[in-house]
Amino acid sequence: MARKHSEGCGLDMTPMIDVVFQLMIFFIVTIKMESDVNPEIRLPDAKHGPIIEEIPPQMLVVEVDQHGIISMRNARMTPDHFRNLMVRRYNQIGPFPVLIRADRRAKHWMVKRVMDMCTEAGIWKIQFAGIQEDKTPDN
Amino acid sequence: MARERKRRHDQPAALEMTPMIDVVFQLLIFFIVTLKQEDILSHLDVNRPAPDSKPPPEKPQELLTILVYNEGFVLQGRRISLKDLDRQLTRIAKFSKTISVIIKCTSDSPHLYLMQLLDVCAKAGLKNLNVFSM
Repeated sequence: MARKHSEGCGLDMTPMIDVVFQLMIFFIVTIKMESDVNPEIRLPDAKHGPIIEEIPPQMLVVEVDQHGIISMRNARMTPDHFRNLMVRRYNQIGPFPVLIRADRRAKHWMVKRVMDMCTEAGIWKIQFAGIQEDKTPDN
Repeated sequence: MARERKRRHDQPAALEMTPMIDVVFQLLIFFIVTLKQEDILSHLDVNRPAPDSKPPPEKPQELLTILVYNEGFVLQGRRISLKDLDRQLTRIAKFSKTISVIIKCTSDSPHLYLMQLLDVCAKAGLKNLNVFSM
């Protein structure tokens, strides 16, 4: 009795710490620290297209921003560099799927330039990325 | 002093929790603040002809040609709104989903229009989409 009194407020911390640890583990597991896409790009809506479940390892994702600048994994490159990369990759592994993340404000010629370089390398099938469901209403 | 030592001896496993809870809360707040939900993305697939090849000659019975201009869409020589295009394509797709759709875009047309058109085609279920540039 006397011991309990000396501890003062005898709040049981264990359940709270359990809950906080659970939450923390959840956030650690779900967090994606480094996003490998260009955050400037606003994709157009495509509500009826099939959902991209997972990017296949062979797929090449190329980004075209509103000024027509080509980038891959948020790393800028010149059109010549991109063309060389496409040709080299095609010679190494054969045909591979290409996904173009083009900004909704981009003009067709910017996308055309990328598509033409794909066909030069020998790739005929091209996919465009769009937003199926917008989870970030701020942009 | 003696009483203090005695008390400490009574509770050998009394670990000090306060700093750990502080740190854990800091981490928790960091993860909550940096959490950002990802958009669900979809893909729209097209075929692309070689840059030097000419568009195939128009055969109205098996090909459908849609033009994308800076101002809008043109179907069979007439300007058409996206809503009407949606209706037309849904009707066409009832007869044949494998009909070849030729999409011709001008250089200065917005990419957004092409995507709207491809989305409408995906909604109708048309699969054979070919994008040409003018």
